[in-house]
Amino acid sequence: MNSITPNKRPATNEDTCGPYFPDPFCDADRMDLVEVHPGLVATARGTPIVIEGRLIDIDGNLGNGAVLEFWQPNDRGIYRTPAHADHPDIDPWFDGYARCRSKDGKFSLRTIKPGALADRAPNVTLTIFSDGISRLVTQIFLEGEAANASDPLLTSLPEPLRSRLIAKSTGANDRGEQVFSIDVVMAGNNETPFFDDLES
Amino acid sequence: MTGLGRLLSIGPTDNTSRERTPRQPLQLIPEGARESFVPYSRVQPALLSAEADMTRLAADLPRAAGEAIEVSGQLTDEFGRPLRGVLLEIWNANTFGRYTHKEDASGLPLDPNFLGLGRVLTDQDGKYRFLTIRPGAYLARPDIGRWRPKHIHMSVRGGSSRLVTQMYFANDPHNDGDPMRILMGDAFKHNVAGEYDAGQPDLAAGYRFDIVVGGRNATFFENDL
Repeated sequence: MNSITPNKRPATNEDTCGPYFPDPFCDADRMDLVEVHPGLVATARGTPIVIEGRLIDIDGNLGNGAVLEFWQPNDRGIYRTPAHADHPDIDPWFDGYARCRSKDGKFSLRTIKPGALADRAPNVTLTIFSDGISRLVTQIFLEGEAANASDPLLTSLPEPLRSRLIAKSTGANDRGEQVFSIDVVMAGNNETPFFDDLES
Repeated sequence: MTGLGRLLSIGPTDNTSRERTPRQPLQLIPEGARESFVPYSRVQPALLSAEADMTRLAADLPRAAGEAIEVSGQLTDEFGRPLRGVLLEIWNANTFGRYTHKEDASGLPLDPNFLGLGRVLTDQDGKYRFLTIRPGAYLARPDIGRWRPKHIHMSVRGGSSRLVTQMYFANDPHNDGDPMRILMGDAFKHNVAGEYDAGQPDLAAGYRFDIVVGGRNATFFENDL
């Protein structure tokens, strides 16, 4: 995978996390990035949305027991990284990082509608760890965004694949928050495009 | 512009790998989207020192069944620079090959003195050390008699997303037929620990497992630790 030079150490191989990733290593509260803490009135800035999804395997079954990590910028398109520590558009109540272990293969992320800078369209990066694979990475886009038509990642894909990364709007929930839904198909028909972040 | 990246391989005799491995080659990421693929989350866990001793549930409780072993090593990037303050989350089966996870339906015996979860932070030199029970092998595919070799799961988390890996033991008779080992090919040796004498009568052996964080995983480890 990685090119080896005499001075470079070979990387330890990634490996499957297996079916028994311990739930205590995940923080159950990390799937709501809008509320800072149940005991505080502080909330993240921007428009709350919900992204619901299902992991689907090659046989059409739910991909149970997966560890999911989500990563996105705030409402103004700024990622909460050390490089942006002094950025004026940082939201102190939003760090854009969510995770869960999904027992049944479904997930529901309550978050802020991501902003987007430059030519990007609003998106959420999804990393999947599970038994049978080491790690899969993709991005989720939102239906109805004009910038989807010119996003460099979406437009790098053959046209028929692009819609597979776009979560469909399914209306509003009880709180009036727009809900999006997406099937992430790990293998087979209508397979979701995944990305190579080691060799890109 | 973009194109196609790696085609992932399916682990032989691994049902879940068949079900979940993408059949299409991975897509390359265009330059303009590259940065968005590197998560960052500050790790500031408050650890108890007891979490680095998985051989007992608490200091005043009996030691779990099986052989107590020490595992130690250093975390570095590919250039040998130590990775400090990195969180290692560790989980492994008990001496009988059973996990305490609720979804382990193997029916193998549980050990009331073994939880199988541990956490430790690397020190200023990137080094770590923990104690656990040497895990048992278990029959992963009873229908074809395929075992999973003894292994210890580790999730490495610094600033970035997880690096999930497994440590294996040299000369385990089940290594050769293991689908994960087969997928790694010759690089499997980087995931095999080196045995040493732990120097304590109550420890059966020590295992040195140095972890080299490479690729995109290294991005934020270098920054903010």
